[in-house]
Amino acid sequence: MKMNYLPKNRLKHPYFRRILILVIIFISTAVIFSFLDTFIISIITPIWRVKNIITIGTDIPSIPQEQIQENILRELVGRKQKTNIIIASVLTRPPQTPYDVILIDAGSNESIIVGSEVSLPEGPILGVVSQVFSKSAKVKLFSASGENTNAILERNNMPVILIGVGGGNFKLTLPRDIVIEKGDRILSSDITSRHLATVGEISVEPTDSFQEVLAKSPINIFTLRFVFVTP
Amino acid sequence: MTFRIIGSLMILISLLVLPYWIYIPVLFIGIILFPYFWEGILAVFLIDIIHSNATEMFSLLISPLILSVLITLIIMVPVRESLRSYV
Repeated sequence: MKMNYLPKNRLKHPYFRRILILVIIFISTAVIFSFLDTFIISIITPIWRVKNIITIGTDIPSIPQEQIQENILRELVGRKQKTNIIIASVLTRPPQTPYDVILIDAGSNESIIVGSEVSLPEGPILGVVSQVFSKSAKVKLFSASGENTNAILERNNMPVILIGVGGGNFKLTLPRDIVIEKGDRILSSDITSRHLATVGEISVEPTDSFQEVLAKSPINIFTLRFVFVTP
Repeated sequence: MTFRIIGSLMILISLLVLPYWIYIPVLFIGIILFPYFWEGILAVFLIDIIHSNATEMFSLLISPLILSVLITLIIMVPVRESLRSYV
């Protein structure tokens, strides 16, 4: 009778080796890509720049009259605002990116640094620069998932913490006694008190001691074209 | 092999120009359609490198999107072995 024996060094499940190879590829890619991020962004940025020119155009906005007046008022009270504002065009925006992170076409060459404030030409503040490359920078929006931002509820001057939930939306929890209505403005907590979000939905159950407020960004972040960066 | 290369290129181009609700499902479809689609790992790392803030090695390793692609690939290895395409 013919007998077949399994060799001692042969794995019982042949796919274990394949899984092991996948894990090795996974870890080595993480190591390699973590060093190559600047290089990859510098290669891809020109592609997005061309795509933006083809699809959107390049008419650059000017500083609105309201903002100029606001700056004059601030100068009068001795709080002169930084005037070196850089205009940058948005290369990638949601929904192209699954995270609320946008890429702008200005970087360290234009003296942008990590933490530079990014706002809209119309005034509302959007986020801060989180990563800088030579000709581009990544901006983390305040609405990025899990991002906490100090803010002021305009109706009753109450400090609140806005929690980003992605897609230009925010969530905040307030005691149920606080009066808040749909359309109320939420402002940044700094001296500029710029518009951060607008109250959208308020949900409160009779048994709850808190009310959950959903707020949205004052602009549609899916159609962002230009931003102002204050280094 | 040709389909696999075309599929990989399609995923690469779509993650550069299309919305995420197109390229992420396309990536998972590629993982299911092509046997042992290890190129998916490269594509998902590319997505996180160019679109997210996480660029350090540890934050890349714990990214939910990257981990879900790895888990799907691992699950597909034994699943594909037990499938009979000729039936």
